[in-house]
Amino acid sequence: MSEDTSSRTSRWKDSGWYISLSGFMKEYRKHRVGILGLAVLFLFIGMAIGAPLIAEHDPDPAAKVAPAFLAPQWVSVFDPEGVVSQEYLPDPYLNDPEQHEFVAQGMNADEFTYVHYVDDPGDEDDFSHINITWSHTPGPMFWRVPPDPTQNLPDSLDMGYVIQTLEWEDEALPSDANMTIDVAVTRTGDFNTEEGALMFKVYAWLVDSSGHWEKIFQSFTPYPDGYIDRREDLSYYDIIAGWGGMIDEGEGQEDPDDTLQVVVGIAPTYVFRNYFGTSPQSNYTGTVTVSLRRVSMFAYGEYFGILGTTDKGADAWAQLIYGSRISLTIGVLATGLATIVGVIVGLTAGYFGGKTDEILMRIVDFLLVIPGLPLMMVMAAFLGPSVENIIIVISIFAWTPASRLIRSQVMAEKNKAYVESARAIGASDTYIIFRHILPNVTPILFANITLGVVGAILSESGLAFLGLTDPGLPSWGRMLADAQGTGGFSNGAWWVVVFPGLMITLLSLAFTFIGHTLDQVLNPRLRER
Amino acid sequence: MGLREYVIRRSIYMFLLVVAVVCFNFFLFRLPTLLLGVSPVDLMVSEELRRQLTREVLEGLYSRFGLVPDPDIFDWIYMFWRYIVNMFTGNFGISFVSQRPVMTEIMARLPNTLLLMGTSAIVAIILGIWTGVKVAADPGSRKDVGAVTVALFIYSLPIFWLGMMLLMTFSFYLPAVTNDLISFPLGGTIDYQIWVAAKSSPFGGLIIAADIIHHLMLPMITLGIGGYGGYFLYMRNNLIDVMTEDYILTARAKGLDENQVLYKHGLKNAMLPMVTIIAMTFGFLINGATLTETVFNWYGLGRFIFDSLVILDYPVVQAIFMIIAITAILANFIADLLYGVLDPRIKYG
Repeated sequence: MSEDTSSRTSRWKDSGWYISLSGFMKEYRKHRVGILGLAVLFLFIGMAIGAPLIAEHDPDPAAKVAPAFLAPQWVSVFDPEGVVSQEYLPDPYLNDPEQHEFVAQGMNADEFTYVHYVDDPGDEDDFSHINITWSHTPGPMFWRVPPDPTQNLPDSLDMGYVIQTLEWEDEALPSDANMTIDVAVTRTGDFNTEEGALMFKVYAWLVDSSGHWEKIFQSFTPYPDGYIDRREDLSYYDIIAGWGGMIDEGEGQEDPDDTLQVVVGIAPTYVFRNYFGTSPQSNYTGTVTVSLRRVSMFAYGEYFGILGTTDKGADAWAQLIYGSRISLTIGVLATGLATIVGVIVGLTAGYFGGKTDEILMRIVDFLLVIPGLPLMMVMAAFLGPSVENIIIVISIFAWTPASRLIRSQVMAEKNKAYVESARAIGASDTYIIFRHILPNVTPILFANITLGVVGAILSESGLAFLGLTDPGLPSWGRMLADAQGTGGFSNGAWWVVVFPGLMITLLSLAFTFIGHTLDQVLNPRLRER
Repeated sequence: MGLREYVIRRSIYMFLLVVAVVCFNFFLFRLPTLLLGVSPVDLMVSEELRRQLTREVLEGLYSRFGLVPDPDIFDWIYMFWRYIVNMFTGNFGISFVSQRPVMTEIMARLPNTLLLMGTSAIVAIILGIWTGVKVAADPGSRKDVGAVTVALFIYSLPIFWLGMMLLMTFSFYLPAVTNDLISFPLGGTIDYQIWVAAKSSPFGGLIIAADIIHHLMLPMITLGIGGYGGYFLYMRNNLIDVMTEDYILTARAKGLDENQVLYKHGLKNAMLPMVTIIAMTFGFLINGATLTETVFNWYGLGRFIFDSLVILDYPVVQAIFMIIAITAILANFIADLLYGVLDPRIKYG
């Protein structure tokens, strides 16, 4: 690893390297793999801290955001025919009045009014929205009920709605689609005081170019207070009705062109004509306003996001990013705990010797002969899958190397003259251990600690792969377990197999490289060579 | 201290370790009963059924698992005694799940585990020693740096993931690309249909052996790669250490050619610690490799211990745990003795 050993000067170490950190850094910088390891490690730390900024979707492995096993979006480069999962409406946040068309129809169409308010970029509290208002003047009205009130249309021909048009150029159905509308209903006058049924309902339809209306949403009691976020997963029949006509299956398209209208509107219901024998239409005054601030149609194809989706339809990228938190936390904390225990045991055993040493070393021997992974599995299963328990289980096995190392070093150090003289002037055991012996044996420990982190990270991923960690936390081992358990690659979903393992490898490799470099720089036995 | 005294001392020490492991095993697998008051019988018999059973039937059920209903301190002592007797007579009880003796279940899987672990260990050891020696002759060379980097990479690799990648490549994508020309099974130890066909064929044994090797290839390569890094680094570092000794200088001064120095003087001495490591490896073979066996659906002990743990089949977990711990202690003991016998410079103490 080190071609430059012969040219290395030993000046810095004679002056007590642990005081002069700069000397150590100068030495460390000579090792290219060490620098590489540090760079990768910082990358991962940044990823763990900035996870909410990097990944927009919910990292919960059970949070379904799209259909299962969608490929990463960049894979669609190889498949120009493929449908990309994205927002298909041109203006989901309603900022551009050009994209929206308002229509009022029926015999009482003049009761509908329409306002499109466009957000002023200078005002932060504001947002663009569309208001459709029915202002009611009481009195007998003419109604025309649709001749054949189907499931898809309201029971009144009076409707006020806004139309937004999406274009679908792919010759394939989306594998799934969902519509989100952010809607509020405000009422004034009698509409506000009377409770019970809905006098007006909010609807959403898909209208294809041949003129078929497919209802995909209708509101139910009660009216929402303020804006609510309604997310509607479209059924298979909705998708066929909306997109089916635009797909050419060899005999030409059923619908004349590749456009689909998304229509959101409001219409009176039959209760407005007859409510328990009374007729609200003839004596109500007031208004009903439906306010929209978002109309979005997200359609899924075979491709989704940066890294596709998992078996449960969760976003793989979010899990991958958040997974770094678990691995780093458990890796560092388990090793920290193990090192503290190992150092204390090693110092005690080495310094006091005799019976204490004998007992402690027998415990170490015992742990060394016990098979590691099986016992970790048993303990993790008994203790439960929380992060703290996994840390404890991993560190139970991880402290022995540190204790042996420290013990042997202490045994070599404790008879040296400086310890003798400290004892001669009446220093206590604790003082000698922590002020004189510990600083002299710590350099040896650093390489050991970093390599311990690698072991802890790999143990954690193994336990997670076996399903013994918290199922709600996103972790790389858990992703691999899901991929294995649900036939990730027999479904062709290589992205849920390749990337989590790659992350584990990269993170462990970073620690391995750092550990190896520290070993080269700090371990005197290697340095002399 | 002579060799005889050393052996006696180590034997006593080994016996104490075995006793410690046996006791530890007893308490570990009764922890749920001790702490939570849940016994395996509760898992089998529903609350409703339990009320209908007579005291005699319940006690019979419990005693089948070496337990006593609602134990007090004397019952614990009695249970411990029965456990000790059973452990030392090789009676590991009956599996909750299959209702067959645990020993039978273990014996059915042991050959598979030994086959997989043995072949992969041999591959890893041979490759590790071979490349380790090649590289140690010229430390710091480009070859050496490359090999060490590869070994560090293997050290940081989650081996079960390597298995998944191999499985994906050789059992899924390559068969699809090459039209089943290159194809490895997706898992398992032996193909049932091939086994049935082989029974009526005159070359049945050969066909079965070929099929087992076909199934063995991928997990063996996975574990082989996983083990290789450690052996390589150990061999390399040992040999580099040895090559700085004075007797190597002497050998060179005698005018021996470099190969002779390396193999006759260096390798022989560097192999000593290797031998103990290898002995230890073979002691740990029986552990199996839970993760790799799970990935490849290998019918072995490593997967068995995990599967039994998940369905709370304690007699099985306890028995396997016991067996692997005692094998490991024995291997440790043998490695210690071996080192003493092989290296006459060792002083016993």
